[in-house]
Amino acid sequence: MSQQKVAIVGAGPAGLQAAATLVSLGVSVEIFERNGSPGGHLKQWHALFPHFQNATHALNPLLNGVKGITMHLGSKVSEISHNGNTWRLLSDDGLKYESDAVLLTTGFNLFDASRKEEYGYGVYPGVVTSAQLEEMFNGQRPWPFDKSLAAPKIGFVHCVGSRDVKCGNRFCSKVCCVTAVKQAIEIRKRFSDSAVTCFYMDLRMYGLGFEELYHEAQVNHQVQFIRGRLSEASPAVSGKIQVKAEDTLMGRPLKLTLDMLVLMVGMEPAVKLTAQNNHLALGKPGFGDGFMADRELNTPEYLQVTPGLFVAGACKGPASLPDTIQDAKAVSVDVYNFLKTKS
Amino acid sequence: MINFGYTASESRHIDMDERLHPAIEKMLHREPSLKECIACGRCAAVCTAGYFTGMQFYRLNLMAHRGLINEMKQAARACMLCGKCQMTCPKGVNIRHGVLLMSQITDVLDV
Repeated sequence: MSQQKVAIVGAGPAGLQAAATLVSLGVSVEIFERNGSPGGHLKQWHALFPHFQNATHALNPLLNGVKGITMHLGSKVSEISHNGNTWRLLSDDGLKYESDAVLLTTGFNLFDASRKEEYGYGVYPGVVTSAQLEEMFNGQRPWPFDKSLAAPKIGFVHCVGSRDVKCGNRFCSKVCCVTAVKQAIEIRKRFSDSAVTCFYMDLRMYGLGFEELYHEAQVNHQVQFIRGRLSEASPAVSGKIQVKAEDTLMGRPLKLTLDMLVLMVGMEPAVKLTAQNNHLALGKPGFGDGFMADRELNTPEYLQVTPGLFVAGACKGPASLPDTIQDAKAVSVDVYNFLKTKS
Repeated sequence: MINFGYTASESRHIDMDERLHPAIEKMLHREPSLKECIACGRCAAVCTAGYFTGMQFYRLNLMAHRGLINEMKQAARACMLCGKCQMTCPKGVNIRHGVLLMSQITDVLDV
């Protein structure tokens, strides 16, 4: 019997981990990645919550795990079809690949912050996203204020594009709360006289060590937490930004002038899967399109008529890096068991 | 000045651009547990004085952190120092000491 083959769509942490796990189980794997390099969002991250682990220390083992595995970079899969037991992948660059199973690890996109027009992202240079802040920590992006500034004032807005019906995203992106707390501490450490304020609705510190990190930010780093979602940001003198919010614990409006405003952008699905007969199209998600777990894939009938299609990682819903890696390992075993029943 | 019979309302805005009052910095230094408060409201729910006055400890603490020093000092005087709040506080804030400092802030913590 020839070695069974699995096509993996997406070379982010989930795809890389699944590839390594499947290969260790004796399965032949090929990875298709639309971007020019593997690693997903992790590759532009600086440090990870809650222990400030260097992101490259998390990425390198994943990259080392797929050494020797064929990876098609810059290859965007646009269509998947199945005929009997065989799956066929078709990419935009004309690549065709046949396999016994397909694993989708298409991950997430970050919310486009310019859609929240009241925050002025893309208009005021001092308004940045959480992902851009990671690039500043990495030295890949300049700070929007003069670094010699004695006491920079920095604000964080939680839930940008999450839990927001008007943006089409009802869900909580889960990781932004603790990311903001982590980044607030990093700012306080980097600029010792800085003043950091977080605007939140509620703080969802669900993981082990997260609540402790929040406590550390509040007590040891004097990060101010204000319960109230920012209503607007407007330009102030010399590139500063004035923000207005209701301090809902005080029941009074509040204003503050900042040197930088960080928007904690949420996660959105990267791919919309539409099924027609034996064909699956991987398209661009539209307004309000949920993650895969919310849609067709949670219908048991759908999975029954398409045996051999699997999904793992953040394409099923917002997930932290450890969640994604654990899920990729678990789903890989499902794939392996499926292949075993076929052989 | 000529009185035209008009008054102007003061802004209700909390202005966070002001640096924290040095006396408040001193107070937080003297009673660091005040920084632990998460405004859960347990202190206010058990407050004996709160039945008759507007006494809510967590709000005093918010006033401190928002720089509303005069309002805080005034409101802190409603406390009877019974200490029930301290028993119920999940964060172990030394509330009685905190309130005592708040009510005497510019007198004791003279700056």
